[in-house]
Amino acid sequence: MKITFRIVWLVALAALGFWLWTVLFPSPEKIIRRRLDEVAKHVSFAPDEGTLARLANVQSLADYFSTNAEVNIDTREEGQHDFVGRDQITQTALAARSVLGSLNVKFLDISVTVASDKQSATADLTVDATISGQPDAIVQEVKITLQEIGGQWLITRVETIRTLSILNFELAGAHFIVSA
Amino acid sequence: MRVVVIGRNWKLTLARLIVLVVACFVVFRFILLPIRVEGVSMLPTYQDGSVNFVNRLAYLRHGPQRGDVVGIRLADPDITRPSLMYLKRIIGLPGETAGFVNGTVLINGKALAEPYEKYICDWNLPPVKLGPNEYFVVGDNRSMPLQYHELGVARRSQIIGKLLL
Repeated sequence: MKITFRIVWLVALAALGFWLWTVLFPSPEKIIRRRLDEVAKHVSFAPDEGTLARLANVQSLADYFSTNAEVNIDTREEGQHDFVGRDQITQTALAARSVLGSLNVKFLDISVTVASDKQSATADLTVDATISGQPDAIVQEVKITLQEIGGQWLITRVETIRTLSILNFELAGAHFIVSA
Repeated sequence: MRVVVIGRNWKLTLARLIVLVVACFVVFRFILLPIRVEGVSMLPTYQDGSVNFVNRLAYLRHGPQRGDVVGIRLADPDITRPSLMYLKRIIGLPGETAGFVNGTVLINGKALAEPYEKYICDWNLPPVKLGPNEYFVVGDNRSMPLQYHELGVARRSQIIGKLLL
């Protein structure tokens, strides 16, 4: 009985130790997932966001990107938009806040792949964005590349992925070139 | 009252309950995925907010057919149960060419009869040649300009299953 009790005690202690280990030293994948959740929160904004909160949130958002980060957005509705560097990302985030009433962004179905050197990673995810006043949510596949810089996982590239592809079609004066 | 609620043999009732719960879990997690339709892309066939199921076993014996309404994954294929999926109708099959001329679907250059299509559109899209595992999909609601409608080529691996209802 004593031995059984000791074994149970040891197993419980080992489980507690493992849990503590994962809390204190999370895997890169866990850190990246947490950071992406934070990015989604900082991209989102409420209609009653104050001026100071707005500036602080936009600054916090920029801090998740590397100084030379690239953002390439290519959607059928909006066409192609490219931003490079934290300044442009900050300006775009501020512009979005002034144009849109509110924005609620969620990153869903996140799939993180960490490179073997543990210095870079890619995250494939689905963005679900709801803009106030628009009946339909915006749904977009996105690929995010991250690098560990100065002990932090920073976003170096964001690119949209077309789920349904069409090769070079032209319509109503607009020319769409979409990769297959 | 006790007999009505748990039956004469509580062990048998418990076993039945466990079987029922396990069966529901397996069916609704791996076979019939419950979905809620959001958006207007499939109007008038599927209303915004309606509930349906995606049958993942629909294409075990045969491939997707023209006219089928299917769930299309956006997420990484490793994610077995995606949170979001597109709901589209298959109009073009592998090896065919699919396009639009003044709102009419042309498959291999011939007009496709679409009894489910209730909205008139004026879309023009040059023919797209589909590969061996590619399907051309489009929503039923074509009342908006083409660039505001998500349509195009879906790979077989992106098709999760066929809508049940």
